[in-house]
Order: sequence, then C-alpha cells, then structure tokens
Amino acid sequence: MSRSNTPAALSLVTPALALLVLVFVAPVLLMLPLSLHEYVAGTGISPRWTLANYTQVFSDEYYREVVARTLQLGFGVTGLCLLLGYPLALTMARSTPRLRFWLTMLVIFPMLLNLVVRSFGWIALLANRGLVNNLLIDSGLIERPIKLMFNLTGVWLGMTHIFLPFMVLMLVPVIQAIPRDVEEAACTLAASRPRVFWSVTLPLSAPGILSGSILVFVLTISALVTPRMLGGPTYKVMATLIYDDFLQTLDWPAGAALSFVLTAMTLAIIAVSSRLLRHWGGQA
Amino acid sequence: MPRLTLEGLEKRYGELLVVAQVSLAIADGEFVSLLGPSGCGKTTVLRMVAGLIEPSAGRILVDERDITHEPPHRRRIGLVFQSYALFPHLTVFENVAFGLRRQGIAGRELTQRVEQALAAVRLAGLGTRHPRQLSGGQQQRVAVARSIAPRPSILLFDEPLSNLDAALRDEMQIELKRLQREVGITTLFVTHDQTEALSMSDRVCVLSDGRVQQFGTPEEIYHRPASGFVARFIGRPNRLQGRIESLDGGLATVLLGAPRAGPVARPAPRGGSSKVAEPHVLEGGGLRLRAAAPQGLAAGAAVDVVLRQEDLRFVRDGSGHAARVALRSFVGARVQYVLALPGGLEVVAEAPTNGPDAQHAVGDAVQVGVDPAHVYLSTPVAEPGAAASRRVSP
Repeated sequence: MSRSNTPAALSLVTPALALLVLVFVAPVLLMLPLSLHEYVAGTGISPRWTLANYTQVFSDEYYREVVARTLQLGFGVTGLCLLLGYPLALTMARSTPRLRFWLTMLVIFPMLLNLVVRSFGWIALLANRGLVNNLLIDSGLIERPIKLMFNLTGVWLGMTHIFLPFMVLMLVPVIQAIPRDVEEAACTLAASRPRVFWSVTLPLSAPGILSGSILVFVLTISALVTPRMLGGPTYKVMATLIYDDFLQTLDWPAGAALSFVLTAMTLAIIAVSSRLLRHWGGQA
Repeated sequence: MPRLTLEGLEKRYGELLVVAQVSLAIADGEFVSLLGPSGCGKTTVLRMVAGLIEPSAGRILVDERDITHEPPHRRRIGLVFQSYALFPHLTVFENVAFGLRRQGIAGRELTQRVEQALAAVRLAGLGTRHPRQLSGGQQQRVAVARSIAPRPSILLFDEPLSNLDAALRDEMQIELKRLQREVGITTLFVTHDQTEALSMSDRVCVLSDGRVQQFGTPEEIYHRPASGFVARFIGRPNRLQGRIESLDGGLATVLLGAPRAGPVARPAPRGGSSKVAEPHVLEGGGLRLRAAAPQGLAAGAAVDVVLRQEDLRFVRDGSGHAARVALRSFVGARVQYVLALPGGLEVVAEAPTNGPDAQHAVGDAVQVGVDPAHVYLSTPVAEPGAAASRRVSP
C-alpha cells in the first residue's frame, strides 16, 4: 500500500498541489508581510514595519471583547450542537436502516439550502415583527416583542441550526460502530441502562464527539454570513471584523493580523483535540 | 432444588418459532452444554436466560424465583460472549472491576477481588494493560475473569472458544473446566462443537430446530441417542438407509440400501471428507446388518441407519462383512479408510494409528464388523435441521 510516493502518483497530485499553492499558500504568504505594516488613516499602508497589529488584538479592549465573543460563540454553539445532536445521532444509529435513511435525509436537507436563505429564514422568525414574537404576543404570553435578533441569542440560534447536521453526521457512524455486545456485557454486569450509557456508550463515542466538536467549533469561529446577518452591526465576531477591516475601513494590515490570530487559534484547538483524540481513539 | 429451571421457554419472531418448549432443570454447580447446529436456537435460549431477549412464553427460574421479566442488570447472571465484548476504553483491571463496582465494592476489597479473579485465569500482573494489547486467548481469559468476579449465581458461555485456534481451544477447554470445578459455579455453555460439549459437560442438551432432542450425560448422548437427529449429529457417523427385514426379540435385521420409501429428502450425510459424501445414499445394495431395534419400528419399515466410523471394527474371524479399501487417509492419531462394501455401498471406518489395522493399503480386502448395539436405527425424516447440521464439522 505504501507505493504512493512513486513518480506516477506524484504526477497525479501535481495539478491539485499547484492549485493549492497558487490560490491558498501564495496569498497567505503575501498577507504575512502585509500584517506587519502600519496603516495610517488617509494615506494608507506605510512602508514601516510594526507588530502593533498583533499586539492590539490582545491589548485593545474592543479586540479582546471580539475575540472573547468569538470563542464564547464557538464553545457555546459546539456545546449546543452536541447536546441536541447526540440524542438524534444515537436514535439514528440505533434505528432500522430504512428509518436511518430518512432521518439522514432530514438532517442533510437544510444543508441543501443556501446559507443566506437559511439566515433570512431566521430573520423572518426572530425579527421584532417575526413569527415567534407575533405568536407570543397573540397568545398573550408577552406584551412587547422580545429582542431575539441583532444580539447573541439570534447568532446562537442560527449557528446551532446551521452546524447541527455536521455534528450529527460525524456522530452517527461512530455510535453505529460501538459493538452491541459490549453494552450487553455491561448489562449482565449489573449496570442499569443509564449506567451503561455513561460508562460504555458515551466513552466509546468520544472520538466522534471530539471530531464533531472540532468541526463545528472551527466552522463557527470562522463563520461570516450568519453572524453578520443575525448579529447585526453591534455584535461583531472575528470573522465579521476581518471582513470590515478589508472591505470597509480598508485597514488591510489589521485584518490580515486578525486573520492570522484566528488561524492560529483554530490550529491550536485542532492540535489539542487531535492529541485527545489519539489518546481516546487509541483505546477504542 | 435446581439452581436454574427453564419451563416451556419459547421465542417467536412473527411466524418464525426459534425456540420451542424448552424445559430444563440444572442443578447447583452443574456444567451443562447446549449443543446443536447453527440456527438451532441455542444462543437464543442463552440470551433469554441472561435477560437480553424477552421470551415469548415460558418461565425462567433461579433458585425457584421467577426472573423471566427481570431486567438483565438485576439477574446476577454472568455471560461470556463469543466476541469477548471487553470494554476497549478500560484497562484489564477496570474491566474486571466493572461488575464489582456496580455492587458497591470499593477500595482494598475491590483490588483484592479483581486480583483474585485475574489470578484464577492466570493473568495476574496484566491489570494495567488495555484489551487491545492482549492476544485472543488472553482477552478470552479477561472476559471469563470479568464474569466470575462479581460471583454470579449462574455463568453463561456463548461459544466462547470458537474464535481461538485449535491448540489454544484445547488448552482453554481444560482450563475452563478446571476453573468451573474450582469455583463450583453453575454453568450453561453454548457450543456447536460436540467434542467441546461432551468433554466439558456434566450433562449435554442437544437442540435442533429450537427443540430439545435429548438431555443427558455425555455417555447417554453418545451411546444411547434418543433420536435419529442425535445419532446423526454426535460422533463421526456414516449415514445409510435400509429396511427392517425381520425382528427377533430386541434385534432387527436390516437390509441396507433398500429402495426409498416415498419422496423423502435425503441430505448428504455428515462425516468423512466430501469425496465420500454422496455414495452413502445409494439404492440397491443388499447388505444385511444386525441392529438393536428401537421401540415402535415394525418389520418392513424404512429406516435411517447410523454407523459411527469409530464403531466399525476390522475383524479377521469371518464374522464381519467383506470390504475393499477404496481410500486411505492418515489423520494423525488414527487412519481413516473409505471401504467399499458389496452392492456399491461405501462407509468410512477408522483405526488407531498404532494398532494392527493402520497399514491396510488401497485395494486390500478386509473384513469389517459392528456391534448391533452400536447400530442406530430411526424413522427417516425430512428435517430442516439436517441441512444446517452439514455445516458442522464432525
């Protein structure tokens, strides 16, 4: 199987490799020096070198808040997706192949719709005159509309909805692969059903939980469209701030620096998680 | 008072009857095997006892207490799985400790009990390993240690040795048997391997198509098969057909190879290699055989005749039937011969390697005889179980 480094194999990956270098590695390398220059309002990017773009991410109150919000959102949405997704994945993994097929279709279906359309759908639901508020007011539960949008609630709801399928699709095969014998063995060793779940099923689905969480976390902290549409102008996250830096204030150096910080954070999370995954996955 | 009692146990899946009216009483400390071809329902019986399958009818009693509807975790019945089903995320120590912790055992007693169980299966000192770091045989021992550690009232084995290679299987047979004796635990052992069942058990229950065919000591099962199925299933049988010519007290004279009576399905006989499978079912022949006549068979009746390879003897005093060696194969401890009898019949016979009959060559004329008590006659039946039994190695 280890013949992948033969010249023939190399020539097969060359086009993909060339494309990757051209459209991914090169721009990144171009952005690195960009992030080390000073931006002067009115005149543009000065030729002077500086680390200020990076230091401000950690020293500036506003940047710190955005980074904290991004992380909070990342962990929160991941947690919510796990909480909502695990029971669904468990049900799917344990159902008949026929039922599993239809449930999988249901899970995948939202992913077939454009992200912007889905976010607009949430606006229609969550706006002050949206479906949810109207329903609550009409039923007499509240008098004035609750603010569900242009704050973190809307972003959390929208992102959880959008990334839930990823979590579920990562979990199902892992749960399916847990041998039923092992759970039954626990039963015969005086473990009640909840005990079997906590001591056997859940630990054995750890690799799926971890890889699903990494995926959702990375997608969440780098998401742009949903936070922008549902979070409004006030509740910025790193991705929307980078977007503004590049396209509105034209402070490219700051945007580039923030991009690298975001990338570093993502890589750090993946590194830590894959260490954990090796630890657990090796035993499963 | 029996430790485990099964009363009319039944399992249906829709129209399909998997286990039918199984009733057994197993004494305290007894080692009982459920033996049968694959698909005979033996594992289903075991899983109903463990509580992993709900019976459709009947009762399961432990010490005369009805546990039929008790969930598995309250039954205190240990189960060793064919796949071992160890907890892959836990160390060997924690695997064995699992059941003990559920009983609230902790601290020094826990350590002691786990080490005791590991020592009993000769795995002392391997507690810190993970299951994946162990060989198949060692994993099997961990599975056994894990089930005996909580001191269950009954221990169940579901084909525990079928994933091991032959040498290890023999070793584990003896070891399991010794362990069971030492611990004195009531054991129900499911297997499709007759050698395993006969050598390990106090009593053997032969199952076919979900029904108990015979329940008795290994000697009873072997020497006095209660049905044609048991006779064909146990030992290395030659399967022939015949017709009872005459009855004389307890003895019948059987004309072998008599024409078939009606359209009875004839599955290929078991035993011997495939080379010799078909010729056993021949029409014509005309060889006469004396056999102990079972109850309920009248003169003129068509019968299935089972002659075990190991019961056929080479004789020199003219009391046997003349035969010619058609094939000789050396199997180690014994030599197997395919013998051609007059009338086109063929049977497989064997002789010990060290005996005088180990050196017959192909083409030699020999004489072969059989004790009438070792000729098993039964009414021919077209049984679905026979098809399954072919898959089982003799």
